[in-house]
Amino acid sequence: MAQPDTLLTLDGVVKTFGRHRAVDGVSLAVRRGEFLTLLGPSGCGKTTILRMVAGFEHPDSGTIAIDGKPIQGIPPYRRPIGLVFQNLALFPHLTVGENIAFGLRVRRQPAETIARSVDEALALVELSGYGERRVHELSGGQRQRVALARALVIRPAVMLLDEPLGALDLKLRRQLQLELKQIQQRTGTTFIFVTHDQEEAITMSDRIAVMNGGRVEQLDTADRVYNRPTTEFVATFVGDTNLLTGRVSSVAGPTATVSVPVLGRDVPAPAGDARAGTGVRLSIRPENVRFADSASPWRMDARVLEVVYAGAAHRYTVEAGEARLLVAAPASPGTAPLAVGQRVALTWAADDAVLLAPPAGSPGR
Amino acid sequence: MTAWIVAHRTIVAAVLLFLPAPIIIVILSSFTKAGYIGFPPGELSLRWYAEFFSSADWLATLGLSTLLAALAAMLSTFVTFLGALAVTRQRLPMTQGLETLILLPLIFPHAALGVIMLGLVGIFGWTGNFLGLLLAHFILTIPYAWRPIVAAMRKHDLAVEEAAMSLGAPPFYTFRKVTLPLLRPGLVTALLFTFIISFDEVTVSLFLVGPDLSTLPVKIFSTIQDSGSPVIAAISAILIGFTIAIVFLLDRVIGLELFVAAEQRRKPTA
Amino acid sequence: MRLGRWAWLLLLPLLCVLGLFLFGLGELVWSSFNGPDGPGLDLYRQFFARADYIDVLIRTLWVAGLTTVVSLFISYPVAYFIARFQGRRDWLLVLILLPWLVSVVVRTYGWIVILGNRGLLNGFLGWLGVIDSPLRLLFNTTGVVIGLVHVFCPFMILAILAVFLQLERALEEASMSLGAGPLETFRRVVLPLSLPGVISGVMLVYLMSTGAIITPLLLGGLRDRMLGTQIYQEMFQLFDFPKAATLAVILTATAFLVVLPLQWLERRVSRNLKGAA
Ligand SMILES: Nc1ncnc2c1ncn2[C@@H]1O[C@H](COP(=O)(O)OP(=O)(O)OP(=O)(O)O)[C@@H](O)[C@H]1O
Ligand SMILES: [Mg+2]
Repeated sequence: MAQPDTLLTLDGVVKTFGRHRAVDGVSLAVRRGEFLTLLGPSGCGKTTILRMVAGFEHPDSGTIAIDGKPIQGIPPYRRPIGLVFQNLALFPHLTVGENIAFGLRVRRQPAETIARSVDEALALVELSGYGERRVHELSGGQRQRVALARALVIRPAVMLLDEPLGALDLKLRRQLQLELKQIQQRTGTTFIFVTHDQEEAITMSDRIAVMNGGRVEQLDTADRVYNRPTTEFVATFVGDTNLLTGRVSSVAGPTATVSVPVLGRDVPAPAGDARAGTGVRLSIRPENVRFADSASPWRMDARVLEVVYAGAAHRYTVEAGEARLLVAAPASPGTAPLAVGQRVALTWAADDAVLLAPPAGSPGR
Repeated sequence: MTAWIVAHRTIVAAVLLFLPAPIIIVILSSFTKAGYIGFPPGELSLRWYAEFFSSADWLATLGLSTLLAALAAMLSTFVTFLGALAVTRQRLPMTQGLETLILLPLIFPHAALGVIMLGLVGIFGWTGNFLGLLLAHFILTIPYAWRPIVAAMRKHDLAVEEAAMSLGAPPFYTFRKVTLPLLRPGLVTALLFTFIISFDEVTVSLFLVGPDLSTLPVKIFSTIQDSGSPVIAAISAILIGFTIAIVFLLDRVIGLELFVAAEQRRKPTA
Repeated sequence: MRLGRWAWLLLLPLLCVLGLFLFGLGELVWSSFNGPDGPGLDLYRQFFARADYIDVLIRTLWVAGLTTVVSLFISYPVAYFIARFQGRRDWLLVLILLPWLVSVVVRTYGWIVILGNRGLLNGFLGWLGVIDSPLRLLFNTTGVVIGLVHVFCPFMILAILAVFLQLERALEEASMSLGAGPLETFRRVVLPLSLPGVISGVMLVYLMSTGAIITPLLLGGLRDRMLGTQIYQEMFQLFDFPKAATLAVILTATAFLVVLPLQWLERRVSRNLKGAA
């Protein structure tokens, strides 16, 4: 049920196109003023969810409510929602200023108010003085900001942004990510942001809903989605990880021991609610696999197969037992990377590993 | 290699002389006293223009042709616009078949179209009257309206309308302020096309005119056949002047190259 | 915006008008099977039994075919020239568009002035002393073909030009960079890519030439008849609607015999080219 600070709720929302279930029972509670990201691979139903919230599609079942009141049956133009489209959808026949003024004109605001709001909106997105330009005279980043200003100026309760940064180059993208976040905080508007870029999701969001095949797999803070994924899909989609199949051999307090056949040994992991004897999948991030020293409580032997220099870190592929693991180690200037073929000892802290339920249908060996 | 280039240039030059030749000749002969340009050319005179402008009959025919073309253009553009809205926005059954049907009049020889229209108009008892001509021109110009309108609609991004609605614009407001302005170039092209097609149409009209009702091209045709009166030269020169105006309008409104591309779209492919 | 359940209502006026056209078409076919002695193939039998009608049919095919071929051969080089012209193309386009938009009667009248017995050409040649008596350029097949080529070759030029304008210069440059000379490039790249335009131009010109009335009547006279002028005559001099209907059906059939296969071909060629692009 809606908590006091919940603004928008989706409850068991289903949408099918023909026989294809684009959205397959999604429930979400979006808090007032938060920056929530829908993250997932292409075709997982992100746009469809936004379109249902905006009123352009209608759920087959389930309800969508704002402030606890269902909005079913309210046409798009009466919903307190701002939408930034995947392709921006700026009006090509209007100037930048007229684009931004559109929603205000519809609301029959007096001309001076409109002019003032447009100027403020242009200033907010740092496009002051561009009001007379035509849309096709703008760069990609500028267009994106116009789309944002156009939606913000009507002061919507919820802003929906559908991959607004998708078409931009990396540098501009980073810059606009920051601006977008600042604007969101300054205006205090609730943002629902769609992306399939996990880095973007992590840097911008208060919370992330990771989606797959029309379902929300996990809804959590960026930190927990990354460090405490609950499903194998989340662990692999958000960042790189090593996945190992094994069986819990014993549980001692907060730590479980998992025997992993491909490694040919037991390794530690947080116990959680795992019980001895159950099949599990263990996820350990490359940067959490460390080179062991004399103080390490356990270690396993491995051999370096491949070294890639990736900016701030060296990324190694190593062979341990029959398994291949990814290891990322900070590259400090002056220290040479390990050589291919070199023998190393690896370890990790039990808390850094995550135990996941094996995906349905796979034998829990 | 050079032989090829010379041959190519020669053909091009010949054709570029050949095409405007009769038009230039007509204009020149309209200014002669004989109304007929022989060799060597005779005395100059404006008497044929005077004759045209003092003939109530010719002026009335010009008026009728203009009215007919304007009405046919507006009717077919409007009806096509409605139909195209449905076809481009709704998944309707048999869209392909529908398009073939709409473009069907394009693949009939004009002489056959004339007979078809005469039969059809006869059923309504409109033989030899304005309504008969209008109905025929209406049907004939629909394919020419269809191509530019549908092309404009397919190019037009429906997300823009959703953007308007998400900003609070109700459907009719969206239609007026967003949809129509974006479709305007397509509609203008359609109106121009259909007007020209209807105004120039002669073969089918030939079957539909009556004893006291004729379109301008048909009247020119019958005058050439009957009397060969040189007033035709003056009328033709005036029509050429009209056409030059239209070409400049086209250049201004859509650009000639775009017009050629649009022309390609109107060709009967269905 | 979506239109909802009642969208098809918008189609209704359009469908009504097209329905009328189909009705007229049906009526035409029906009349052609309804001779004076009741329904049957009588009218068709009569048509094929008369040598002069067969002559008209053959002359129609011949004139239309000749017009199409001549148009193609003079239009292709012109379209290519315009497409590759470096300067202001608009002026060249005006030379094509203007004649094309000027009414057929006006242009045909121009040819009467030029080609007539007392016309410009004969006057000029006589003045030069090249000829004693005027050349007979009008009221025969030559005049008709000259007139029809003039009337319809702008369609051909525009159809081919439209394809050329969309053809990327880079394709030709790529071909040259791969070692193909200009002629080789033309044969292997330009020509195949321009085929859709050629086909639709041929289709258009053939179709319009078979069904022409004005130009054959004014430049060819009533003696050298084509199907179009024959229909006109049956209708307005003999007032025989069923006979005219039969001729119209035969005319349509002869046109379709060429046009429908070409349409099929054009669709195939365009599809293949789309795959290549
Ligand atoms: N109007 C529609 N008709 C039929 N199927 C649709 C329609 N809209 C979406 N789908 C299907 O629903 C699924 C979800 O589409 P959606 O657009 O929500 O994906 P997305 O997560 O936004 O993907 P992307 O990241 O590529 O934008 C897709 O498989 C898509 O093919
Ligand atoms: Mg999407």
